[in-house]
Amino acid sequence: MRVLFALAYKDYLVIIRDRGGLAMLFLMPLALVLIMTSLQDNTFKAINESGINLVMLNRDQDSLGMIIEKEIINSNFFKVHNKIDNRIPTEKSIREAVASGKYQIGIIIPAKATERIREQVKRDMQVVFSGDSTVKPLNDSVFIGLYIDPATKNSLRSTLQGSIREFTAQVESHIILNELTQQINRHLMVKVGDLNRMKHGTVFYREEYVARGDKNVIPNSAQHNVPAWTLFAMFFIVIPFASSMIREREDGSQSRLLTMPCSYGSIMVSKIMVYLVVCYLQFVSIMAMGVYLFPLFGLPALDVSGKLISLSVMAFAAALAAIGYGISVGTIARTHQQAAIFASISVVILAAVGGIWVPVFIMPHFFRILSHISPLNWGLNGFYDILVRNSDLADVIHYVLWMLLFSIGCLMVALYYHRLRKEFA
Amino acid sequence: MSTDNIAIDIQDLTKYYRGFEKPAIDRISLRIGESSIFGLLGPNGAGKTTMIRILCGLLIPTGGKVMIGGYSLRNELTEIRRIIGVVPQEIALFPSLTARENLFIFGGICGLKGSVLKQRINELLSTFGLERSQGMQVGLYSGGMKRRLNLIAGLLHKPRILFLDEPTVGVDVQSKSVIMENLVEINRRGTTIVYTSHYLEEAESFCSSLAIIDEGVIITQGSLNDIRKEYKSDAGLEELFLELTGKNLRD
Repeated sequence: MRVLFALAYKDYLVIIRDRGGLAMLFLMPLALVLIMTSLQDNTFKAINESGINLVMLNRDQDSLGMIIEKEIINSNFFKVHNKIDNRIPTEKSIREAVASGKYQIGIIIPAKATERIREQVKRDMQVVFSGDSTVKPLNDSVFIGLYIDPATKNSLRSTLQGSIREFTAQVESHIILNELTQQINRHLMVKVGDLNRMKHGTVFYREEYVARGDKNVIPNSAQHNVPAWTLFAMFFIVIPFASSMIREREDGSQSRLLTMPCSYGSIMVSKIMVYLVVCYLQFVSIMAMGVYLFPLFGLPALDVSGKLISLSVMAFAAALAAIGYGISVGTIARTHQQAAIFASISVVILAAVGGIWVPVFIMPHFFRILSHISPLNWGLNGFYDILVRNSDLADVIHYVLWMLLFSIGCLMVALYYHRLRKEFA
Repeated sequence: MSTDNIAIDIQDLTKYYRGFEKPAIDRISLRIGESSIFGLLGPNGAGKTTMIRILCGLLIPTGGKVMIGGYSLRNELTEIRRIIGVVPQEIALFPSLTARENLFIFGGICGLKGSVLKQRINELLSTFGLERSQGMQVGLYSGGMKRRLNLIAGLLHKPRILFLDEPTVGVDVQSKSVIMENLVEINRRGTTIVYTSHYLEEAESFCSSLAIIDEGVIITQGSLNDIRKEYKSDAGLEELFLELTGKNLRD
């Protein structure tokens, strides 16, 4: 115990004497979490506020053109332009303007589009009501031109396509019902009113975020981003941790310790103890920032009420997993460069695979399976379960155990590798 | 030498490094007497450091048997670590810590505590002329000061056997003089010293017995006079060394 105390005291002094390193250990994660949460939180707001530049050439000037233009303007999602450089655009100028990135979207609604839909519907109705199967339906499709800047996200394209499809369907059904009303009144004995009056919503949806227990949780960007980026930042402890091990190995101080009555295991345990405190303080400072500072930056506050014990246990396990990984990297890497490059890239990969950047459920099948072996995924799932799914400690204990096992596994690898090095140099 | 007076008993010690066909240490047998100052000399790459690292428990030998202070290196490493002190060639200290903090930590690991530890630290700092700079971070020390502190760290727990790997390399005459004088004094009080150096003149005056090792094999061993008699030479250690190890440059 005395040996552990002396070693831990050494590691504590080494850490606090490196003021720059210490500042980076705490300030960088705070900055990372704050910036990432702000970015994610503000992305939608920023789009709403500034709008996506959309140029529209509405040659229809009838129901279809008017409803599409009106709904797009009302969506507040786009800044709609009807002119390019103060001139009525042409198809060519729209293509060029979108290709140059000046506008993200270009829409051309062809002339007489509504009229052509009417003609089509009328013809179809006549065919239906004539009972003459020899009359062929008119096949005159209306094409709405949609030009998209390749830099624009696919999700935006899909949203826009979906919206236009919906507006078009509205116009089509309106015309169909109008025509149907006329045809019925013309051909049948019974007079009917405007069938468009039947059009009222019959199917609605009710949205609810479901979580365990009675408490309804409304997730916000803090709830989503803080655990993800906190884990990411915590795992970056691997780099200073591995570096400290390599520095001690290179300057001979580790060898000196190993000639004294202490084992490699005790050197590791002392480091684990000290770095665990560092990781935990990182976690506490990030959580405190989420709770108290986020609102000052216009971000939603992190709600940790009633979850502190579960969160602390998860943070403890995540810190152990990160430190365990650091031990194995620090033991196996031969140089600072090896450790720094491997540690940083591998943490980024583990984070990517673990769902820190892209949710696991939208990943390809292979990566979804791969995500199960990332300790960051275990940590993230655990934190999400606690913060947004209202789970308690018992519900996430399996994630805690996985991370503890990962840490023990890393420690075993390090001890085995140390033994190999001692035996075969 | 009776077995009671043996500090280190080495039998057929062999060490192969991975990827090398030739052993770094090739079936070396050696006995080092209690309270002696034993010099392990040899050119670069001869196997000195490998041997010291094995004796300190930092490397596992491929073969052979080693007893240190009556303890088996293979089975009783923890006991051996309690009775040995090691002064490595590199400055194996924590540069961001003060001298006193370094010694406090090393002493604590060696089982010293409280007033005993404080007294021992004060005594050694004073002996090696570092008491006034004990609060300074070691990274700010001069080369000689670091070297003296490096030595103190190995002496804190009054080891029975002290391994010194080039203890005076790169230090000025004053520091060297303080170091050597104190080492003689420490030996006089009963500590066995195993010493390696490239300073053959220093070794000649310091060591009571020595061994010259080359390519993993002991070429000769005994007191300087014994070696002179064996090779029928009146030459100094440096001349004998060159005669035995050759003049070819070593890596």
